[in-house]
Amino acid sequence: MKKLFPVVLVLAALLGGYLAVAHLSGAAFSTLGLPLGGDRGLLRRIALDFMEDIQFKDFEAAASYHAPDLIESVDIPFLIQRLFQVKPEALDIMDYEIVFADIDSSDLRARVKVRVRAKLLLNERIEEREFVLYFDRDDPSSPWYMKLEDSLRELTPDQGRAH
Amino acid sequence: MSAGASAPRSATRVLAARYRDGLLGDPGGLLLLLGQAPLIGWLCTVVWGSIERDTPALYFVLCLAAVWFGCINACREIVKERAILERERLFGLSTRDYVVSKALVLAGLGAVQVVLLQGTVEWQLSLRGPMPVEMLALFGASLAGTGLGLVVSALATTQERAVFAVPLLLLPQILFSELAIPDTLYSDVVAAAEKAMPVHWAFRVFEESASVEPSWLSVTLSLGVLFAMGLALVGAATLAALPRREVVT
Repeated sequence: MKKLFPVVLVLAALLGGYLAVAHLSGAAFSTLGLPLGGDRGLLRRIALDFMEDIQFKDFEAAASYHAPDLIESVDIPFLIQRLFQVKPEALDIMDYEIVFADIDSSDLRARVKVRVRAKLLLNERIEEREFVLYFDRDDPSSPWYMKLEDSLRELTPDQGRAH
Repeated sequence: MSAGASAPRSATRVLAARYRDGLLGDPGGLLLLLGQAPLIGWLCTVVWGSIERDTPALYFVLCLAAVWFGCINACREIVKERAILERERLFGLSTRDYVVSKALVLAGLGAVQVVLLQGTVEWQLSLRGPMPVEMLALFGASLAGTGLGLVVSALATTQERAVFAVPLLLLPQILFSELAIPDTLYSDVVAAAEKAMPVHWAFRVFEESASVEPSWLSVTLSLGVLFAMGLALVGAATLAALPRREVVT
C-alpha cells in the first residue's frame, strides 16, 4: 500500500498536468470527454458535432448551429456539393478533424479550420478537403453561432461597383 | 543461471540510476536540453502557422530535429567520462552495461523531447495522421540519433571533436533526401544512401500516415527499420567503446 501511493500520486499528477495542457491549448489535445478548453474548446466541439451531423446526413441538425433567424435558410447540401463537386448522396464522409480554432481580438468572431476525408461513391476515390467554419456572437456571454449561411449565398454582382 | 543473468541487468540499472541522477543534478543543463524541443516546435508553428497547414517539409524538419536531439544529447556522454569508464573497467565494469545504461536514460530524455516538440506544433496546428504513430516515429528517430551520438562519443578523443562531428552526421540526412532532389532523379548510390538515413524512415512514417489512403504495413515496416537502426547503433557504440584507451586527466 505504501509503495502504491506514490505511483498513484505520480499518475494523478501526470493526468492533471495533461488535462491542464489540454485546457490551455484550447482542446488542441484530447480532453478525454471533459468540457475543457474554454471558448476554443467549445468551438472545436461545435464544429465536430456539426461534422458528425453532416457525416450522417442530418442536415436539419447541421443547420441548428446557426443563429435562430437563419436556420430555415441554411442550405447544407449545397455546401457539400460546392466543396466536393458531387451531390451529398454520392459522398461518404470517412473522417474529419480540427486543424485549428482561432478567436479574434474582439472575442466575438472565431474561425475553425476543418479537414475532411471523404469517399466519392461514384468512382470510389478518396479525397481530402480543408475548409473554414466562421462563427460569431453578440457579446462574450452569448452563444456562438455559425456563419456558414453567409458563404452559401449565391454570389451576385454588386450593381453599384465596377467589375 | 538466474544470478548470472540478473547481474548485468542490475549493473545496467545501477549505472542508469547514477547517470540519471547526474543529469537531474544539473537542472540548468537539463532545461537547456529539454528547452530546445519546444523552441524548435514553436519556430515550426511560426513558419507553417503562416500558411495554416502542414506540408511534407514540416514533417522532414520534425524528423531531422528528432535525430538532432538524439545526436546532441549523446555525443559527449561517453567521451567526457572516458577516464571513469577506463578505471571502472579495470574493476570489471561491462562496456555493454555502461553503453546500454547511457542509451536507456538518453532514450527517456529523447522521449520527453519528442513529446514537447510535437506537442508544441500540435498546440497550434493539427498535423495529418495519428499523433501517437507520428510521435513513435519521432521517438525512433531520436533513438537512432542517440545511437549515432553514442558511436561518435565512443570514437572521439575529446568532447569538442565529438560536437564537431554532429553536423557531419546530420548533413547527409538532408543531402540524401527528397528535400535535396526529387526521388525520381536519384542515382542508385543516392537511393541506397537514403535508405541508411534514420530521417528517411521517420519521414516515410509521417508521409504514409498523413496520406489519403495510408498503408499501415508500410508504416509498421518503417517504424521497425527505425527502431532496429537505433538498436544496431547502440550495439555499434558498444563495439566502438570496447578498445581500451589511455586517458590523461
